[in-house]
Amino acid sequence: MTILKTTGVTKQFGGLVALSDVNVEVNENEIVGIIGPNGSGKSTFTNVVAGVYLPTSGKIEFCGQDITQKTTHEKCHAGISRTFQLMRPLIGLNMIQNIMVGAMFGKGHSLKEARKRSAELCKFLDLENVERPISAMTALEIKKMEIARALATEPKLLFLDEVMAGLNKDETMEMINTVRKIHSRGMTIVIIEHVMRVIRELTQRVVVLEWGKVLCEGTYEKVSCDQRVITAYLGEEAEC
Amino acid sequence: MKYWKYLICAVLLIVAVSLPKFIGVYPLQMANIILIYMALALSWDMLLRTGQLSFGIAGFFGLGGYATMLTSTYFGFNPLLSLMAAAITAGLVAALVGYSVLRLRALYFAIVTLALGEIFRVIAQNLEITGGTEGMLLKQTMFKGDAASTYWVMLAIGVLTIIISIIFQKTRIHYASTSIRNDEIVAASSGVNIFKYLVIIFAVTSAIQGLVGGAYVQLYGFVEPTATTFSINFVLMPITMALLGGLYTTWGPVIGAVLLSVIAESLKLRIPYGHLLVYGIIMVVGILWFPGGIMGFIKKMFKISNQ
Amino acid sequence: MLIPCGQYKPARNSSIRFRDLITMINSILSKFKQKNFLIGFIIIIAAIILVAIYKPNVLFEGLQRSALYALIALPMALLLGIVDIVNLAHGEFMMVGAYFAYFMNVQFGMDPIVAVIPALFLFFLFGILVYYITFKHIIGKEPLSQLLLGFGVGLVLAEGITVIATNFPRKLGLDYVSSSATIGGFTFGTFEFVYVAATIIILVGLQLFLKKTDTGQAALAVGQNPRGAKIVGINVQWIYLLIFALSIALIGAIGPLFGTRYTIFPGVGDQYTLKSFILVAVGGMGSLNGVVLAALILGMAETLVLSSLQYGKWADIIYFALIIGFILYRSHQRQVK
Repeated sequence: MTILKTTGVTKQFGGLVALSDVNVEVNENEIVGIIGPNGSGKSTFTNVVAGVYLPTSGKIEFCGQDITQKTTHEKCHAGISRTFQLMRPLIGLNMIQNIMVGAMFGKGHSLKEARKRSAELCKFLDLENVERPISAMTALEIKKMEIARALATEPKLLFLDEVMAGLNKDETMEMINTVRKIHSRGMTIVIIEHVMRVIRELTQRVVVLEWGKVLCEGTYEKVSCDQRVITAYLGEEAEC
Repeated sequence: MKYWKYLICAVLLIVAVSLPKFIGVYPLQMANIILIYMALALSWDMLLRTGQLSFGIAGFFGLGGYATMLTSTYFGFNPLLSLMAAAITAGLVAALVGYSVLRLRALYFAIVTLALGEIFRVIAQNLEITGGTEGMLLKQTMFKGDAASTYWVMLAIGVLTIIISIIFQKTRIHYASTSIRNDEIVAASSGVNIFKYLVIIFAVTSAIQGLVGGAYVQLYGFVEPTATTFSINFVLMPITMALLGGLYTTWGPVIGAVLLSVIAESLKLRIPYGHLLVYGIIMVVGILWFPGGIMGFIKKMFKISNQ
Repeated sequence: MLIPCGQYKPARNSSIRFRDLITMINSILSKFKQKNFLIGFIIIIAAIILVAIYKPNVLFEGLQRSALYALIALPMALLLGIVDIVNLAHGEFMMVGAYFAYFMNVQFGMDPIVAVIPALFLFFLFGILVYYITFKHIIGKEPLSQLLLGFGVGLVLAEGITVIATNFPRKLGLDYVSSSATIGGFTFGTFEFVYVAATIIILVGLQLFLKKTDTGQAALAVGQNPRGAKIVGINVQWIYLLIFALSIALIGAIGPLFGTRYTIFPGVGDQYTLKSFILVAVGGMGSLNGVVLAALILGMAETLVLSSLQYGKWADIIYFALIIGFILYRSHQRQVK
């Protein structure tokens, strides 16, 4: 079943066209990868679908519901959640309180219930010592905490925006396993990524963006051999 | 450890309530002033916890004062009812104004609140029914000026403000405010309805400021638009007190208000012109070098002693 | 939002040439081709003509009042609009400048207009001092602490003056201030045209500084993107210091001009901070011309209201209401709805 469908989504910033006529579909319980060179509109796409921008034109449907003009928190309530490219912890709160924000306001749980669910999520994502302040956490832990905060809103669709950026090899492996674990709980995931290995390991389908347009889409094998994609993005990295 | 806190609070409350038995009229008046500034400082801090800086304290203070004056003069409200009227008027006006103004980015919001105070002042100054530039006199002040009774009313307002602040700190409002202050985009993406919380908190804090304004008028029995009721002092004193005591805490502004009110009272006698210079210096030094204020210092000491 | 660093191109030749003037005029002319601009311009001109017929006095007084507002707002436009520093002590610096001129006049008989020159130098140094003590530590941090800091600095200045000179209102008795001219049956003050002249000088000077000098271009780059500017090798700290000191020097030097005509007291700067900020917000961040235009419209409107006996006392309200509406309309809104 299709849960997210964008039709002709276009976003302009003044004269700059960041997205033009983007049609993407995401099916239930799949992991879709979105790749593209810098400035190709990956993050703008996330922001239009899950975040703060309204599209200039086009339509976004989520679970059969038109969410094009919805505000950010309404999108969250509808069931779309996201993480951010750069780490954005709420520094005034500690680890579990950060996650509780998602549980309380995304799903409307009471304070007590939110704490219980957040503690469960921490256990699920192997986060320990949950009362630590942000300053005492490692980069990997902060990233996991942000994923937990997004999961705490109990979304139907999760956007992971460059979740591997800044992690070393071991940490990346751990993060890949984490994403698999989340997926195995039945979560639909859209993953925006630079690291091709991650895309190869995780995704069933890849959408390639270039200059705000969809260049092509398909399985990793198909996309990585497409000549246009190789010239646009992969360069010599392509391993066919 | 936990019970100690409640015990201290209970003892403080008992001492505060029975204060009129032990001290004279002048110290009681002093206590009233402390309570007024404490409530203003705390309500200002409550809004600041959401990252919204308001310079409109004097505006809502004055609005409440005028509401009290007008309702008791023209409709013959009894003092407590007129205080209610003050709180409701200020809260409603804040909700209405906030509904459009809170959509502005924090910087513009701050400036617009500054202009808002001016607007209220000019309106009060120009209307006939508010007595124009001369202001008005209250026929009779609350409890005929009985020091103990008025003090208890002020104490009730102060305690109410502290209770509201603690509620704000213990419930989901705390999480909403902190997330909005830290990162609005993350807050909204986590499902926080930013605008709703801002309007609610702005209305509640303004209502407190209006209530205090009303009490001030009941206490001193007059309104006067230019120098007293909308005085810039009601903006800068509470802000300095909260900064000195420690932002984003309940007890910081309380401590700041007690300390600075006492200091101000003694400075007023020594330096007739420009005693507020001390406030300015405290403000600048506080922002630049001691952002945590006294509460931040106390917390740091606790941490060191725990280790 | 990140703006590509490539946009920063230092001007190679900093001398002003005839060709540059032509390009400037051309760019102004090209604006007229935009429909909205043209309509707005026609409405403003028509309104001014109507006012001129209806109440000729208002035209001159309005022009002078607008010029004063624009004059005071321009240094803030430089600081807030170009490099994004909010200085809520803006009006207080002007007040200190006015007191400086007052005491120079009383003590040494120096004419306030002459006092502009030493004020310029002294306030430049004062600006450097204030920057190093206060604003330096807070730039780039949350804007709220900038607001509070400015508020505190303003308080220190106003109360410092009160300690020195008490809050007794003072006025210089200068005869040339009340000079006037009569054209066809109505009389207007001529001295106030000094504000118009000063506005034009400062506006043109700042425009040339920003457009034609390396430093000015660097300031624009820093305003757009401090990090990007740093990467392309601009000394960002130095630019902040320079622009801050320049802004303080200008507003300090405006003080004596203000003091010639108006009564001064320690709290006189307050409302001008507010009005200047509002003009910058309305005129558009980063546009000096916009600020002057906004001052022109609001000054005229305010004078028109003031000239009516019945509604004159409501002028301030009109000012603020108009402006709050305009700020809302210009949507300086938060990113998240």
